[in-house]
This record gives sequence, C-alpha cells and structure tokens, in this order.
Amino acid sequence: MTDPLRPAQDAPLIRTAALTKKYPRVTALDQLTMTVDRGVIGLVGANGAGKSTLIKILLGLVEPTSGTAEVLGLDAATQGPDLRRLVGYMPEHECLPPDVSATEYVVHLARMSGLPPTAARERTADTLRHVGLYEERYRPIGGYSTGMRQRVKLAQALVHDPRLVFLDEPTNGLDPVGRDEMLALIRRVGADFGISVLVASHLLGELERTCDHVVIIDGGRLLRSSAIGAYTGRTEVLAVEVTDEPDGLVALLDQAGLSARRAGKLVEVRLNGHDEAYDTVRDAVARLGVGLVRLEQQRHRIEEVFTDGTP
Amino acid sequence: MSTITVERTSRWFGNVVAVNDVSMTIAPGVTGLLGPNGAGKSTLIHMMAGFLSPSAGSVTLDGERVWHNEDVYRRIGLVPERESMYDFLTGGQFVLANAQLHGLPDAGAAAGRALATVEMDFAADRRIETYSKGMRQRVKMAAALVHDPAVLLLDEPFNGMDPRQRLQLMALIRRMGDEGRTVLFSSHILEEVEQVASHIEVVVAGRHAASGDFRAIRRLMIDRPHVFLLRSSDDRRLAAALIADPSTASVELDARERALRVHAVDFPRFVVRLPLLAAEHGLRLYEVHPSDESLESVFSYLVAS
Amino acid sequence: MAPRDTGVIHDIGYRNYDGARLGRSYLVRSLFVQSLRGAYGLGRPARSKVMPALLLAAITFPALIIVVVTMVTGSQELPLAYTDYVPYTFYIVAVFLAAQAPQLISHDLRFRTVPLYFSRPINAADYVIAKYGALAAALFALMAMPLLVMYVGAMLTELPFWAQTRGVAKGLTGAVLFAVLLAGLGAVIASATPRRGFGVAAIIAVIMVSYTVVSAVQGISVETDHVKVATLADLFSPFNLANAVQLWIFDIEVNPLFDEVPTADGGQGLLFVAMYLACVAGSVAFLLMRYRKASAR
Repeated sequence: MTDPLRPAQDAPLIRTAALTKKYPRVTALDQLTMTVDRGVIGLVGANGAGKSTLIKILLGLVEPTSGTAEVLGLDAATQGPDLRRLVGYMPEHECLPPDVSATEYVVHLARMSGLPPTAARERTADTLRHVGLYEERYRPIGGYSTGMRQRVKLAQALVHDPRLVFLDEPTNGLDPVGRDEMLALIRRVGADFGISVLVASHLLGELERTCDHVVIIDGGRLLRSSAIGAYTGRTEVLAVEVTDEPDGLVALLDQAGLSARRAGKLVEVRLNGHDEAYDTVRDAVARLGVGLVRLEQQRHRIEEVFTDGTP
Repeated sequence: MSTITVERTSRWFGNVVAVNDVSMTIAPGVTGLLGPNGAGKSTLIHMMAGFLSPSAGSVTLDGERVWHNEDVYRRIGLVPERESMYDFLTGGQFVLANAQLHGLPDAGAAAGRALATVEMDFAADRRIETYSKGMRQRVKMAAALVHDPAVLLLDEPFNGMDPRQRLQLMALIRRMGDEGRTVLFSSHILEEVEQVASHIEVVVAGRHAASGDFRAIRRLMIDRPHVFLLRSSDDRRLAAALIADPSTASVELDARERALRVHAVDFPRFVVRLPLLAAEHGLRLYEVHPSDESLESVFSYLVAS
Repeated sequence: MAPRDTGVIHDIGYRNYDGARLGRSYLVRSLFVQSLRGAYGLGRPARSKVMPALLLAAITFPALIIVVVTMVTGSQELPLAYTDYVPYTFYIVAVFLAAQAPQLISHDLRFRTVPLYFSRPINAADYVIAKYGALAAALFALMAMPLLVMYVGAMLTELPFWAQTRGVAKGLTGAVLFAVLLAGLGAVIASATPRRGFGVAAIIAVIMVSYTVVSAVQGISVETDHVKVATLADLFSPFNLANAVQLWIFDIEVNPLFDEVPTADGGQGLLFVAMYLACVAGSVAFLLMRYRKASAR
C-alpha cells in the first residue's frame, strides 16, 4: 500500500465506481461512476441530497450504500482520517464563531489538521494574507462582512496545504464584486497554489468562467463529466452587434450570399466554415458606416445540458 | 396593461434610510431590480406591493395610490422572499386559502388555474413540507397569481435554486412578461438578471443608480474608456492603425489572451472607425469583444462611482 | 551583509507545506487544551473571562478565610475537612457548570463549527474525549484551587505534614469524582441544545431540582426513621451521588450535605459506585451517538 501522506502522483483526483447512496426517502446518488483529474472541478447537482452527499462521502464522513469512492488514491470509506489530512472543506453554511478572531480560529483549526504549533501560526498568517484578510484578522469574526467571512472559511480549508479542497457554494450571499473576487481567488488556488478544487455551485456561468472540468449530477445520476471545452465549444454562428441599422446589415449580408438573421439586438451569421465570411461582415458594416460593437463566434453553454442535453 | 410609478420616494426606518429619493417607472414586461445586499430592493418592492407606506413621495399603479388602496391590491401579486409557509397544508390548500382571502367568486377554479399556470397541479395534493425549494417558490407564485393580477412582484425568487429549478422559473417569468403582465423581480446575481430581463433598474445604497438596458447604460458612461478585446489576422498592424486614430487612448498586446486590448475614449468614433481601418489595411477581424460591457462590469462601475 | 549595489526579491507567494503532520493524539490534545482555555475565557474577549474568574474567586475565598482563622487561632487542625469543601460550595460548582458547559459544547453546535472539525482527521470519539475531558478538567481545576490554597496554608502554619497531605489527596480525589460525573451531565444537556440559554437553564434546573427533591425526601425519611431510604435517595441527584461515593470510598461517617443521613454500607456502596459508573458511561455513549450523527450531516 502507498504511504497515505504521499499519495501516488498518478492516482486520479477522484474516482467513483457505481457509487450509490440511498436514504429512506430519496436516492441521493445512483450508480455514479466517474474519474476526475487534478484541476479546478465544477460540481453541479440538484438541490438537497446529491451534491452535499457526494462531498460527505468523498470526505469519508458518510458511508455509501454501495459502490466505492477514492480520493487521491485513498479509499474514502476505510481511509477517512488519512484522506482528511490531505483535503480541505469549506461548508456552504455559516460556520464561524463570532467571539474569536480569524487568527485565533484558523490557528486552532490548523492544529486540528495536524500542524505543529509554530507551523500552524506561520501558515495561518500566510494563508490569511493570500485570501486577502489583513488588519481585520485580529478582530472578532462577529464584526466581519459576508465577503470577509467567506475568506476566513476559505482560509481554514487551505491552511494545512491540502492537495484538494472542497468548496460548497463559495459565492453564496456575495455581491457581484465579492463574487468576482472569490472566483479569482479560486482560480488562483487552482493555478498558483497548485491545489485542486472541487467547487459546487448552482450558477453555471460562474463555473464556465472558473473550471477546467465540470461534473453534472441530475437526480442522483451522472448526467455529464467533461472538460469545460466540451461544454463551451464554439458554434458555427457569428454574433454581430452594430450601433444602427441591423436590418440593413442583414440585407447586405443576404445579398453577399450569407445566411443572416436578426436575434434581438444581434445579427447572427452562419459561418459554415468559410473564413471569408468575416471579411464580408467587416465590409458590410464599413459600407453602412455604422459602428461595430461586437463580432464573435457564439459559444455553447453548460445550461444547454439541461435544456436539450446535446451541447 | 399596468404601470407602476415611483415618484421621489423615500423610506426610512428611524434614522436608517433604506430608499432614498427614488423615481422609476415599471412598465409591462420583465424588469430586473438589481442591487447589492441591503441596497433597499426589498423595501422598494414592499412599497410597490402596498405593504409599506413611503415616508416621502408616492407609489402609484396606473395613477392610483398603492398604499391603503384595496382596489389596487387586487391587481398586484407579491411573491415574498421569506420561506414562511404553512408546511402542514398541501400546495392546493395553500393556494385555495389565498383565493378565498381575496374573496374570489369561484376560489376553487381560480386556485386550479393558478396551479396550472406554474405547472404545479401535479403536486397540489402533497404537503408543502415535502416540496423542493423550486416547488415552494412556484407554489408561492401560484398564491400570488391566484387573483390574476396585472402586476407580479418577486423578491429574490432564485435564491438557493438549483440549475434546473432556475431554468424553469426563468421560463415562467419570461412567459408572464410576454403575456403582458408587469413583472418585477429583484436579484443580486447578475447571471440570472441578464438571462431574464433586458431592462434593469439598479439601486445602490438606497439610491436609484441607473435604468435601462445594461449595454446602453454602459455606453452612457462616457467618463470611463471602453475596453475592447480584438483578434485579427495581424494584431500588431491593427494596433498600429488604431493607435494612430484619436479615438483610442492605448493599445496593448495581451500575450496571454493572444489578443489586442484597446482602451477607446471616443466610443462612437471608435466603433465606426474599426471596420473601416481593418478594411483599409486588409486585416481580417476575427473577434470584437466589448470586454467591460458585461453586466458585471457595468454593475461594478455603478457601485464604485 | 549584501553588497550595496545588489538587490534581491524574495518570493512571498504561496508556499507548499512539507513539514510534519501530527497524529490524532496531538489533535485531541490541541482540542482539549483549547477547550480548557476557553472554559476560563482565555483566547476570548475580556467579558468571557469575567464569569469564570468571579466563580474561581468565590470558591477560593472561604479557603483563604479558613487558612487565616487557623493561623490566628494556632489550631493544630483545619476547621474543615478537605472532603467537605466541595459539598459546602456546590452551588458555585453548579453555576460554573451551567455557565461553561454550553460555552464548551453548545457553542460549536450553535455556530455550526462542528463540520469543520469532522472534515479534519479527528472522529466523533476524539471530539467527545477532548470536550468531555476539557469540561471535567475545568471543573476539577475550579474545585482543586481552594483545596490547594488550604493545603499551602496548612503547610505554612506547619500543621502535621502527613495528615494534611492525606487529607488533600482525599479532597482532590473527591473533586475528580464530582468533576467527571458533573461534566458528563453538563455535556449531555449542552449537546442536546444549540441554544446557550436553554443549556444554562436546563443544567441549573436538573442539579437544583434533583438536589432539592432528594433533600426533601431525606428530611422526611429521617423524621420518620426510614434512614435507609434517606441513604439510597442520594442515588437520584448527581451531587449527592458523587458525594455518597466519596463518603463510602473514604469511609467518612458524617455526611457534609446532610449530617443525619448515614453513609452507605458495603452493599449500598457498591450500588452507588455502579450507579456512578453507569451515569458516566451513559453520558459518554449519548455524546458519541450525538456526534456520530453530527459528523455524517
């Protein structure tokens, strides 16, 4: 058997085989089989059972009804404590006591992950800085904004330098600006810190911007598990937005033999593999003398998995 | 067809000003009410629904004052954010009770219609405590729709929903708008606003910060340069051509994106000159992307200013 | 020192951690120490330190008086046996337990910090051991303080060394008996409610009501000459039970809680010990069940 603290580098990040979890009233997971490699992984699940159950199973806290789950090459059902040494977890709900400071609390949790006192102190200071908490770290958490609390929650999940961190709805309750900052932080955790991330979110657009790979569970079953590129590939449709006369543009493009139509404020042009179409559009806009605000190949969206199942 | 008019309205609670001198008009169709947490969205919606009186100014529906006006209440449906529902009732009983409270002549038929509208008739006989979040939201909506109001107000309707529930509700809200109702929903999640409503009202710290299509709002901010991401057959030559034109302030070759990043200070001139310059130099434009015209950027500009 | 014309930029970016990751005994110890400190308000805001400090002062004050009186009168004996001290001051112990058990136990439940522990290498048993242990240790420290003050005072007045040392050892053993049983009770009640106020009220209520009822029963029994009933009534109040076990183990004749209630004889003593152990085991079992469930949620 491999040393549990130094998992084989070639082991996949997460591997499940026929993973099933039944509760008296619902089947949370149904024959889930998937393999996911290192990186930033998005997890989309229906509300309630599926998503949280999967995370708890992967943390070795809930025993599956049948099937197996492996994280970093460790069996979640039998090697839970070893596994939890190497992963971090940021819950969806509030989980911070108001009467202690971020520093006190994160140092304590660092020790609870096995870091000796000195390392716990030093890594807490560094980690709080990396998540963007500065002077406020010495004040009681009760006075923090939602954004700051989310940062503390993230810091406690990272303080012991895990190989993988589970983030459950990390942007919940954040304002648009806070959301952007949190997503940027998650990308940094994946890219600069070299820590794999499993981020559960309901907001598909956020996952499109953040993840390398997305796993979708629907009704307890695996709906899809693919690299992000497979969800958001380019389409053969060019979206064009002009400041004026979109109908005039459609007419001109029609004359030039391109198939174009209006879709709200946009004009959609079919490319059909002909790059010359780009020049035709450019020249048509120039001829009309209107402004060209947008010209880009449309992309598929994760959402389409739910609407027609064939992105 | 109904229109809500908010005129110079403020609402304060003690010394806390939740809504500060706001004027806006909500017309038929779907409107998104956008703002950070605590911006006053809920207070505004509650005043529109007649749950709260304005401290100053007026809120009217088709010219009639909303506050303390039963006639107007009959034309408004409110879907509150709070989850407080009667868990021991079935969805059908809950909607029926609302129909009876409105004193509708045929409450049973009205409840049935409302449940069918939100596609919840299949679960009408199940107790509310067995419902998922999305189902609860739809039953609340049925209760608000039971008297067939012309105006539907929804406070943070998407909170905590999973993607499938979200898509379903979005379709429902769009349909309500297409039917000619005046639909207003609040949110602080831009993604969902962008997908449902093209017309947005932005409130920030109780003030009415902007109104309209977010792209149009962005173009009104002439004090901020517009950032475009361009890809062409020869980015370096395109860069040279663009920097020679007074409409651009700076051009940067973004190595990571492998694209040109252009700061345009004169938006109308820049967008007209761009295709002309490209054609003149024989450059093929593969992509023109206004990178700060997303709702995110517009919103962060509004909040920051 | 670096030469003047050179510079250096240090990398203060994210660093990986290759150092030691200590085992479960370290985790349990850390949680124990942190909880014990928390019980006395250390590492928490100043106002959290007020209550434990006041109670510690209140329970120690009579011990100081005893020492002073002994010194002044030149007596060859302390006016109070070490084993009687805790029964005489049990109100203070009860208030401390009611105030601090919810702080130690309910706090994690109320602020939902429990999942942060169970996403780490410790399991429910480790958590229960550390928390129960910390609460028992905090109670013990509270009761041991005045006993040690008395002992140090006795040594300074040069009372007989061996008699005093035996006495304090008995007193401290008794304190352990009280601490372990009461900590179990407090932890069970506190873990059943995330609300601090409920926890405080419930603990006070259980201790006071059971003590009052048992005292009343004993009063009536002594009046009506049913002394055996009076002795056995001690089974039904935690303070009386711990006290009864202490009296039996050290074969003390006079019951400090109620001097007319005779100390248990051999068979009764075993019954008391069995009840005591059952209560402690029951508390641990309840806590384990409670936190096994919490860790899977």
